[in-house]
Amino acid sequence: MSAEVSVSIERDSDIVTARQEGRQLAAAAGFSSADQTIIALAISEITRNIVSYAQRGKVTLSRMDEGGRRGILIVARDDGPGIPDIDLAMRDGYSTGRSLGVGLPGAKRVMDEFELVSAPGKGTTVTMKKWLR
Amino acid sequence: MADEIQQAASKALMREMGLDEANIERRKKIVGFEASDLPRIAAIRDLVTQHADDYVTTFFNHLSGLDDGRALIASRAIAERTRQLKREHLMAMVQGEYGMKYVEQRIELGTLYAKVGLDARVFLGAFHQLLKHIGSAVMKQPDRKAVDGFENFMSLKKIAFFDIGLIVDILVFERERVIRQQQESIRELSTPVLQIRERLLLLPIIGVIDTQRARLITESLLRSIRANRAKVVVMDITGVATIDSKVSNHLLQTVTAARLMGAHVIVTGLSAEVAQSLVALGIELSKLNTVGDLQGGLEEAERILGYRVLTTEADAGPAPGGS
Amino acid sequence: MSVPILKQGDVLIASIQAALSDRELAQLHDAFADQVGRFRSRGVIIDVTALDVLDSFATRTLRSIAYTAKLRGANAVVVGIQPDVAFAMVQLGLSLEGVATALDLEEGLAYIRDVAKRGGHRVR
Repeated sequence: MSAEVSVSIERDSDIVTARQEGRQLAAAAGFSSADQTIIALAISEITRNIVSYAQRGKVTLSRMDEGGRRGILIVARDDGPGIPDIDLAMRDGYSTGRSLGVGLPGAKRVMDEFELVSAPGKGTTVTMKKWLR
Repeated sequence: MADEIQQAASKALMREMGLDEANIERRKKIVGFEASDLPRIAAIRDLVTQHADDYVTTFFNHLSGLDDGRALIASRAIAERTRQLKREHLMAMVQGEYGMKYVEQRIELGTLYAKVGLDARVFLGAFHQLLKHIGSAVMKQPDRKAVDGFENFMSLKKIAFFDIGLIVDILVFERERVIRQQQESIRELSTPVLQIRERLLLLPIIGVIDTQRARLITESLLRSIRANRAKVVVMDITGVATIDSKVSNHLLQTVTAARLMGAHVIVTGLSAEVAQSLVALGIELSKLNTVGDLQGGLEEAERILGYRVLTTEADAGPAPGGS
Repeated sequence: MSVPILKQGDVLIASIQAALSDRELAQLHDAFADQVGRFRSRGVIIDVTALDVLDSFATRTLRSIAYTAKLRGANAVVVGIQPDVAFAMVQLGLSLEGVATALDLEEGLAYIRDVAKRGGHRVR
């Protein structure tokens, strides 16, 4: 059961579009106002990552409905240079000052499921899920 | 007018449940509905429409025989509406159009079932009886081959299962909504934020603080800060069961969030022993304004608020607008 | 410039009405930097009441504005962070440490007034 929205990311104004679409989808799925904001924030962070490092990419948002559990699925994909050191990018203290992955550890913290796949030259794919409580 | 409202409500519910065109197509696929089913259903259309009232009666007779089903026929108004809708449904089932409008019709009936608290199993039992009745009639038709009758009925059953899927989903969805609302009420009752003076809030935290509860407390406090335009919050943790690193992190988050809204938080009830063990765990307590007991905390709060008033009065004349 | 900066005495006020892109946020920072110096402002207020999200870039920009203002002798305060926004920021670990905050514009102005009073004329 899905209503899918795709936002292509090419410039910084697309970050705003992606998170606004995310908020709308989260609202339709039944997430509370507080959770909608958190989801919008997480989308903002991973989308910013695309803009900063890959220049272009795509964010796909859809609702999930599996065995009675409902939620939102967010996939951010880019064909950029990839993240050379994922562990470093995901380290919490790394978020002060440096631009790479500022929001990634944060996004991971607030989403129920978070997966990052990246390799130099192969681009990056971030998959996040949040379920309705 | 009432119909328009009902339609709008049904459409809204469909959006909430994700029932769009794509979803409907998927449901049809799940029951195996294909184009070849349409002529078969058309073949038994007259049979169903001519005896629609009989079939609807079967459905409601079964319901009235069960304790759980009586709610639907208890009120005259609801009974009549349900009967009417059920009849319309039956007619629509054999018309061959199974798109958004068809689904909207099912939503309306499903919502009515949910409102009277009809159990899904009871509904299934009654619906089964209705189908059985139609099935016998189809098989008894003299001018058709038995195998044709059977195939026609099986095609109709696909639509029946499509309907069942929708109705059951609605019943579950609505029940979950009620549960969510009840949970919300319980939450509000368990996280009281008290306004004890203008711009001053008291948040007594009692019991076990897990992630879920911490989230509720924070959300509740932040909304209260906005509603009461609070400048100072006294957060008393005397009653908190265990204060380990996880709990203290939750508390620190609450304090930080309140600060983002311009409110100053004074933490009271943090015993010296607990404070020491937290420091030993590496928790940064320096950011917290902690005062021994609640009384002291309230006095400190008033001092912070009162200080502002004194300063303004000390200047020449009354303040132009200020707090 | 998409966000107008208003001058109220020696306080500069910017009310952000809609989500800003990164570029627009950077422009806001530059505009503040320029005007604080030009008008010798004592205070800077950034009103984010209308924003439904403050992400890492916005947070960093707010910190930059506050820092730049301080370098030029002005106090900065961010006002109007909504409950959901504050909650989300804290959950994600975004910090506005070192930046004064107040509930709304009225409180923000009161803050600027008080700080100036306590610190004398120009606050270093």
